[in-house]
Amino acid sequence: MRLLLVEDSVGLADELVTGLQRQGYAVDWLADGRDAARQGSCEPYDLMILDLGLPGKPGLEVLRDWRAQGVATPVLVLTARASWAERIEGLKAGADDYLCKPFHPEELQLRIQALLRRAHGLANQPQLEAGGLQLDEARQVVRCGAEDIELTAAEFRLLRYLMLHPGQLLSKGQLAEHLYDGETERDSNVIEVHINRLRGKLGRTAIETRRGQGYRFAGVR
Amino acid sequence: MRSIQRRLGFGLIGVLLGAGLLLAQSTFWMLDAGLRRYLQDDLREQAEALLTSLARGRNGVQLDEPRLPGVYQRPYSGHYFRIDLPGESWRSRSLWDHALTDSSTTGLQAGLVDGPGDQRLLLYRADYRRFGQTISISVASDYTPILQAYRRVQWVGCLLGLGVLVLVVLLQRLTVRRALRPLEEVRRQVEQLQQGQRQALDPGVPVELEPLVAQINHLLRQTESTLQRSRHAVGNLGHALKTPLAVLSSLAARVELAACPELQASLQEQLAQIEQRLARELGRARLAGEALPASHFDCAAELPGLFATLAMVHNRGLALDWQAPPGLRLPWDREDVLELLGNLLDNACKWARTRVSLEIAGAPEGWVVRVDDDGPGMAAEFRGEALNRGIRLDEQVAGHGLGLAIVRDILDAWHGRLALQDSPLGGLRVAIELPARQEAS
Repeated sequence: MRLLLVEDSVGLADELVTGLQRQGYAVDWLADGRDAARQGSCEPYDLMILDLGLPGKPGLEVLRDWRAQGVATPVLVLTARASWAERIEGLKAGADDYLCKPFHPEELQLRIQALLRRAHGLANQPQLEAGGLQLDEARQVVRCGAEDIELTAAEFRLLRYLMLHPGQLLSKGQLAEHLYDGETERDSNVIEVHINRLRGKLGRTAIETRRGQGYRFAGVR
Repeated sequence: MRSIQRRLGFGLIGVLLGAGLLLAQSTFWMLDAGLRRYLQDDLREQAEALLTSLARGRNGVQLDEPRLPGVYQRPYSGHYFRIDLPGESWRSRSLWDHALTDSSTTGLQAGLVDGPGDQRLLLYRADYRRFGQTISISVASDYTPILQAYRRVQWVGCLLGLGVLVLVVLLQRLTVRRALRPLEEVRRQVEQLQQGQRQALDPGVPVELEPLVAQINHLLRQTESTLQRSRHAVGNLGHALKTPLAVLSSLAARVELAACPELQASLQEQLAQIEQRLARELGRARLAGEALPASHFDCAAELPGLFATLAMVHNRGLALDWQAPPGLRLPWDREDVLELLGNLLDNACKWARTRVSLEIAGAPEGWVVRVDDDGPGMAAEFRGEALNRGIRLDEQVAGHGLGLAIVRDILDAWHGRLALQDSPLGGLRVAIELPARQEAS
């Protein structure tokens, strides 16, 4: 999952980037509203976290720009402006969720997870469930039947992406775009390695390979 | 109530009555004096005629009775005389058995004297020297018919004056009402302003009212921009403080600190306290309260946005609905009302199982707002305590009991009342009574 964080406070952004990376998200960080408006509309993010008080361009305008350009990516608004009038304004500009500063880091995690599940049509699940698997995002463990299977950070990231797109054909390029941030070198062989390791843990049929097209998450049933 | 109309009316009646009475009375006096002067000449001629009818006869001075006019012969005819000679006194037959009053001075007597048969007489006395002796002749004529005529004129005058007075007062009311119509219009507009049906006063008024209206509009604009500025400043302050607080919260939750759970808990508790206090005070500073008379909240326009936001924040399939009379406008600042309803509904959504409902309705002296949920509700014995204790109903759910504290601040500013009741949906009902805004409280 690749996230865009737009936050002008370096201290908070550092904390958030570290926390989000620990939870297996690839994070791009921007501090200026104009950069965010541009980059948010051309890079394939899975979710964007937007602060409203930004230099360069106000957050609400950035959001309106994205929506006007047809960007449908879920946007979580992060702001110190907590009044209901401002929340309503944020929603009208196209926000999908609203989190007021200061917040608990777990609260942000839960909101991100819920928003991602909702965006992929898996609303109202306390945990990510797909293809007979249950993913515990806090512990980074997958439950298959009655058995808990430990995952490495890279495997967790890959499996989460696959489980959010069950039954869909995913190319290596697409996987690389969504699993790594803008600064990481993208090597499709690495993905192949992780796919094979996941097959080793979940069974060969869990992930199908379509020659020349990519992979498809089939589940363990 | 002091009314310009009434004051002008009373003033006019007073002036008209005073002037009218003075005029009528002085006219009457002058008329009377003129008439008496005229009658005095008449009486003097009569006295001189009587004098010429005196002749020296065999037994001294004698009155030539047959030469006297008939009016002195006929009883109560209204014309009388008395002639006093030393040792002798004659009076006209018309006096019958009435004695004409003695008069001490010559000329016309100042007052009227009693005559025969209830008559009031104008009396004239003249002294002459004739036949070597002093002859005093008093002549009187009946003044009663003139007095009666005066009374009639007074009656008619009174009635006429009264009629004119009523007419003038009515005309004056009409004029004043016409002249005060712009003032009445301004008063009506101020009332609309108070009820939030108008943003500013109409500047097209007579020149006398222009400064007043311009000043009121200026004040309105100034109050609004001051409020905007202070809200903006509060927002900036909040932003400046909350971002570092968010960093601190995040730092306090770090894995490194998990090794010292007491330190971590203490840090988190202190941070939570700062956060609560900050949010409450910033929320309070944002309140417009009753500072803006022109503000209003249009239910049909604002509630859908609020409910959409609530549905987004509480994304767990709750059924949210609201009812308000069509076209209902509450006379308070939009952001204040949103904050009040937002916090109440947010709280209800946290507790509700499946349903939250909002009802706003008009009441005899204001409005009632009811927020119902089908959650676990609250036992009656805790309600009073919950209200007294700074309200921390939602403590267990979202970690801070702020929502209702802000609600309390808003209601204090509006003189509203809050009560916790059993909801027909099965959970808790928060019932709020909002009094209509006072014109000058």
